[in-house]
Amino acid sequence: MFLGLLGLALLLQAPWAWAGDEERKLEAVFIGRFASYIEWPAKPRERFVITLLDDNPFGTLLDDLYRDKRIHNKPIELRYATRLDQVGETDALFITLASSAARAAAIDHAQRNGILTISEAKGFAESGGIIQLDFVEQKARIKINHAAALKSGLRIGAPLLSIATVLRGDRP
Amino acid sequence: MFDRISIRYKLIVLLGLSAALALLISSAITIYSTYLSESRASLRVLHQLTDVISENMRAALAFGDAGSANTMLASLRVDPHILLAVVNDESGRPLAEYRAARVSGAQVPQLQAGVQARIRASADALRRPDGFVEHIDDDFMGVLRPVFFEGAPIGVLAVVADTGVVWAKIRELVLLQAATSVLTLVLLLFLSFKLQSLFTRPIMKLMGAMQDVARTKNYRASLEAERRDEFGTLYAGFNAMLSDIRERDDRLSLLATTDALTGLANRRHAMDSLQTMLARAQRKGEPLGVIMLDIDAFKAVNDSHGHPAGDRVLQEVARVLQANARDYDLVARLGGEEFLVVCDGGTEEVTVAVAERIRAGVEARQIDDGADALFHVTVSLGVHSAVPRSTHEDIEKMIRAADKALYRAKQAGRNRYMVA
Repeated sequence: MFLGLLGLALLLQAPWAWAGDEERKLEAVFIGRFASYIEWPAKPRERFVITLLDDNPFGTLLDDLYRDKRIHNKPIELRYATRLDQVGETDALFITLASSAARAAAIDHAQRNGILTISEAKGFAESGGIIQLDFVEQKARIKINHAAALKSGLRIGAPLLSIATVLRGDRP
Repeated sequence: MFDRISIRYKLIVLLGLSAALALLISSAITIYSTYLSESRASLRVLHQLTDVISENMRAALAFGDAGSANTMLASLRVDPHILLAVVNDESGRPLAEYRAARVSGAQVPQLQAGVQARIRASADALRRPDGFVEHIDDDFMGVLRPVFFEGAPIGVLAVVADTGVVWAKIRELVLLQAATSVLTLVLLLFLSFKLQSLFTRPIMKLMGAMQDVARTKNYRASLEAERRDEFGTLYAGFNAMLSDIRERDDRLSLLATTDALTGLANRRHAMDSLQTMLARAQRKGEPLGVIMLDIDAFKAVNDSHGHPAGDRVLQEVARVLQANARDYDLVARLGGEEFLVVCDGGTEEVTVAVAERIRAGVEARQIDDGADALFHVTVSLGVHSAVPRSTHEDIEKMIRAADKALYRAKQAGRNRYMVA
C-alpha cells in the first residue's frame, strides 16, 4: 500500500520534475542570451564574468553550457559567491538570495558597479533589479526594469525590450 | 485564291498581318518579361518582410516567447496577399503562426504541411547564415529564412503568399496590350490603306499605259521616268520597249513603203498614197496631176556601162525627181526604170511645168560610170491632169492616160513629155 502510494506520488511528480529541469536549462541558456542584448560601459576585462550569488540551483549546468562559449566576443568565466563581499568585478550577477534585504544590498552594489542583475525572485524588478525571469506553465516571463538598467549604465537592446514586460519607472 | 485579290488589298493584308505578328510577338515577350519581373518583385517583397520579421523575431525565438512571436507575425495582416507565416524554434516545433482570415479551414493543413515539408527538405540551406529558400508556382510563393542567434540557427521563419499581385499585373498588362494592339492595328490598317497607293499607283499607271498601248497601238506613248526607285527603272524599261517597237515599226514601214535602191516610195505605197490624194482632190474638187516617166534606152545603159552604173542612173534620176517635185508631191519608183510623180492640186499647166523641169534636170545631170567617165541619160514623160470624179475608177484611168501619153512621147523620139 505504502509502495503503491509512493509510486503514484513519483508518477505524479515526474512531469513537474521534468518541467523543473527544462526550465532550469532554459534559465541557464537565457542568462547568456540576455547578455547578447545588453551593452555595458567599456571595461578593460578580457573575460565576460557571470557570478552566481548564494545558492547554485544549476549544478554543473552553467559550466557545461558556457564552456568554450563567448559573449561579446569574450570567453566566459563563471564564478560562484555565497556572500556579497565575495563578488568581485563581474558583468552579470545571478542572485538567488532568499532575503529581500540581502537582494537589495546586492542590487545596490550592482548599480554602483555597472553590473547586470538577474533573479527569479518575485518582485525583483520592482525592487530595482534589472531582469526578473520566471516561468509560468513552462513559458518564460521576462520583466525588465529599464530605469534600473539605465541607472547601472547599461543599455538594453530593443528586441529584448520588445518581448519583455518593461518597467519604465518605479512602477510597471 | 490569293492571286484573285487586287495588289492593293494584298498590300493591306500583308501589312496588317506583319503588324499583327509583330504585335503578337512583342506582346508575348513583354508579358513574359513582366511575369518574370513581377515574380521577382513579389519575392523581393517577401524577402524584405522576412528580413524585418526575422530581425525582430530573434529575441522571441531566443527566449521562446510565443506570445511576442505571434504578435509580430500578426502584423502581417496589413498585407492581404500573405496567407500563412510560421516560425519554428530550433527543435523544429512551430513557435508561432499567422493565418490570413480568408484562408479556408481546408486550406490551412495543406499550407502548413507544405511549409513544414519544404523546411525539412531545405534543412541544409537553412543552417547557413545567408541561406534562404524561395519558391513560386501558379498559386503560391514563399520564402523561408533561418533566424540566427550568436552565430547559431535558433529557428526558421516561413512566409507564404498568394500570387494574386503577379496575376493582377499580368491581367492589367494583357488588357493594356490588347487595347494597344487593337488600336495600333486599326491605325496601321488605316495608314496602310492610305499608303498602299505609294506602291499601287505606279503599278496602276504602268498597267493603264500598257492597256492604252494595247488598245490604240500608239507606240509613241511614254511614261515619265523621273522616278529613281524600281518603278523608275520599270518605266524606263517600258519606254525603251516602246521605243524599240517604234523603231522596228518605222524600219518595217520604211521597208514596206520605200524602194531600197532609190529611197523613193515603192509601187504599193504610191498606189495607197495616190488613193488618198485622189480622194482628197475629189472631195475638194481640185485637179490632180499624174506624170508617168521612163528612162530612155535604159537597157543600153546597163549593157554598155554595167548594172552598177544602171543603179547609179536610177539613183540620180530619183534625186532629180525629188529636187524638182514640190514638197507635197508624191514621187515613186513603180519598178524597173519607170517612175510616177503625182502633183497634189496639179493643174495641167503646173504638172507640165514640173514634168519639164524633171526632163531638163535629168538631161543636164552627168552620171559617173564608175570608170572616171561621165555620161547622161534622158527621160520620156506622160502627163495627165484632171479633177477626179470617182476614186477607184479614176486611179486606173489617170495612170492609163498618163501611160498612153508616155508611150506617145517615146514614139515621138524620147526626151520629151506629152500631155494626155
